[in-house]
Amino acid sequence: MTDAASPAPRRGRAHGAWIGVAVIIALWELAGRGLTEAFVLAAPSEVLAYLAEDWRLMARALGVTLANAAAGFVIGNLAAVALAGIALLWPRSQRIVTGLALLVFCLPLVATGPILRVFFGPGPGPQITLAALAVYYTTLIPLLVGLRAAPDSWFDLVRSYGRGRIAALVHVRLMAALPYLFAGLQIAAPAAFLGAMVGEFTGAERGMGVLTVRAIRALDVEMTWGLATVATAVAILAYLAIGALARRVLLDAPPVILAAPAAANRGRGWVDALVVLALAIGLWGWTIWAFGLNPFFAKGPGDVWAALVTAPDAAATRGVIGAALAETAVFLLPGYLAGLAAGAGLAILLVLVPALAGTAMPLAIALRSVPIVTTAPLVVLILGRGAAGTIVLVAVMVFFPTFVACLHGLRQAPGQVMDVLDSYAAGPLARLVRVRIPAMLPSFFAAARMAVPASVLAVTVVEWLATGAGIGSLMALSASLSDYDILWSSVVLVAALSALGYALVGAVERRVLARYAPEQLA
Amino acid sequence: MAADPTPPPRIVCDAVGKVFDGGTEAVRDVSLTFAAGQTTALVGPSGCGKSTLLRMIAGLESPSAGRIEIAGAPPSETLRQAGLSIAFQDPSLLPWRSVRGNIELALSLARRPARGSEVDELIALVGLDGFADTRPAELSGGMRQRAAIARALATQPGLLLLDEPFGAVDELTRRQLAQDLPRIWEARGTTTLLVTHSVTEAVTLSDRVIVLTPRPAQVAADIEIDLPRPRPEGIGRSEAAKVLIERVFAELTEAMAAQDRPLAAQ
Repeated sequence: MTDAASPAPRRGRAHGAWIGVAVIIALWELAGRGLTEAFVLAAPSEVLAYLAEDWRLMARALGVTLANAAAGFVIGNLAAVALAGIALLWPRSQRIVTGLALLVFCLPLVATGPILRVFFGPGPGPQITLAALAVYYTTLIPLLVGLRAAPDSWFDLVRSYGRGRIAALVHVRLMAALPYLFAGLQIAAPAAFLGAMVGEFTGAERGMGVLTVRAIRALDVEMTWGLATVATAVAILAYLAIGALARRVLLDAPPVILAAPAAANRGRGWVDALVVLALAIGLWGWTIWAFGLNPFFAKGPGDVWAALVTAPDAAATRGVIGAALAETAVFLLPGYLAGLAAGAGLAILLVLVPALAGTAMPLAIALRSVPIVTTAPLVVLILGRGAAGTIVLVAVMVFFPTFVACLHGLRQAPGQVMDVLDSYAAGPLARLVRVRIPAMLPSFFAAARMAVPASVLAVTVVEWLATGAGIGSLMALSASLSDYDILWSSVVLVAALSALGYALVGAVERRVLARYAPEQLA
Repeated sequence: MAADPTPPPRIVCDAVGKVFDGGTEAVRDVSLTFAAGQTTALVGPSGCGKSTLLRMIAGLESPSAGRIEIAGAPPSETLRQAGLSIAFQDPSLLPWRSVRGNIELALSLARRPARGSEVDELIALVGLDGFADTRPAELSGGMRQRAAIARALATQPGLLLLDEPFGAVDELTRRQLAQDLPRIWEARGTTTLLVTHSVTEAVTLSDRVIVLTPRPAQVAADIEIDLPRPRPEGIGRSEAAKVLIERVFAELTEAMAAQDRPLAAQ
């Protein structure tokens, strides 16, 4: 989903965003002061007071987390560039590379955290690794799109002067990919911060994540809100900083890219999926063998197979994991669907009332960058540890990217087609149904696909941090009880189900796009 | 690495055919010889395979039948020596480079250093003075095509391939370019192939017009244009030119009609 030609946000829109921010802060302050009995809500003034008092603690923690996030950001993005390079040198490998990358991206951070903790021992290893894992995919996908985003005639031009692939890479591909790289980096910067924080949840000594866990355990409302505020501010600043850098370097605003374009050919899809699966299992087993990892905690493919299928207690293991998965699904599915519906619905509403869009769009784009998971403690504080809090959090996690993508898609409705409808005096509803919504579908589905791993991340983190139910809690519990059979089996099943969900949404997407936007599948 | 302009080559197409992977036959059994230093126009109905023929001569596409030789060697050799330039229908300017930047890129790709004010002269030639440092997005469609023509001329190729380069150029500039361009290829003795929709342009610019049939492209007529060189201004309105234009039109009409018959027989 790209739009390299869309103009950079104008000053007027920036003002709109500031107004939006001011309104939100004012409402928040009013709610914090007005609802004094709602002791779970800290007003901005109280948060500021807390931050003023405890700024040393906060600054130390922020410094640690930022350093880890920065290291992960660099490593993850270098990995993304390397993977994109492989896919470019050997085009047939692209689907394999993206498939493997997706599978790794679907690994639940909640469980990979503890596993990495055991692997690395004390120190920043897990935080940096999780930060890297959180960013490489969001950079890889736009980069792959960008490296192919040049029209054939540019390559013909290079060839017509007798020059080969290297000249094409230097003069055409790299330059054409630059806006896409920035688009990826812009999303990656807040994601790295999120990854580092989740890594710190797993038992680091210092950092924002450590403080967050402490604040939740102590039910320290001011501290929880203060941490979430700082995390949100850092995420938005990182997003804006890279955006500003991009505007200095590039001619156009970075394109909006939310997911890999839908894969077109069905025939080879299964073959590729099998290759990816075989490679993933091979790499997994090889890593454990090559690093000589302790078989007590490092379970290989064979161990997981045994635990789930052949061991005497396999049925019990399956039962425990199945029950936890079912418990999670009850939160995940309504939250996911509600987030999609709310995102698409609000986008459509805004298109009908364009005056609001100037305020809402930049705000939503900025909020999209917020690592929602860092606000999980807040949602739990406000809505409690029951179903409502979890569902809302998942919905919020899905809502922002969907909303931004849909609004973007709705605005992409071709102007000339709109003019034709105007010439028939078609009303706003007819324009919406006949042109705008079909134009929105590719973006909507791209967002829906990317929301699958994101919602799994959200639900498992909440379950782990707060509700103590479902697969997230099971993974955390089995990690602390050193029940590594359950832990690894859960990781495998969650990753597989996420990838499957991604593929299912992709299948629906292909059927819908084949009818409404066949050019997307070309 | 060629540091000097390559001499204009002679081109031989021998029973050249092209069938694309999808099964579309674009070109069938085309045998033509283009003399060194001559300008030849290829005319034919839209989508007949003119561009494919041009791309095969440029070495960007390989023929699925027959053989193409440029100066006695395969097109890949001309490519290797950066001995040709091609201006596409789509101007294909790199959006992050100015007009000058795009022209300089061509020179650098062809490994030819720009000499003195060469680039500025080219920019003036195509009427883009004052736009040298403008990016393509800020130019009109016609201006972009003129920039692409300037870029194609910059490397001083022995072989110049022009694929409907005036499509989006306004009538006035078109007339000016039709005046100026032949001067360049007359002075340099460039072998030029020009794909065009305009019969008038084909006649006034070239030494020879090849009429192609609808797809798959076959040679329908090969017409010598014996108008004087250098072409005086307003040659298109001369009696001799009018006769030739009528003749090309007649051949083109007949080629189209010939297409209808096998279709009707199906």
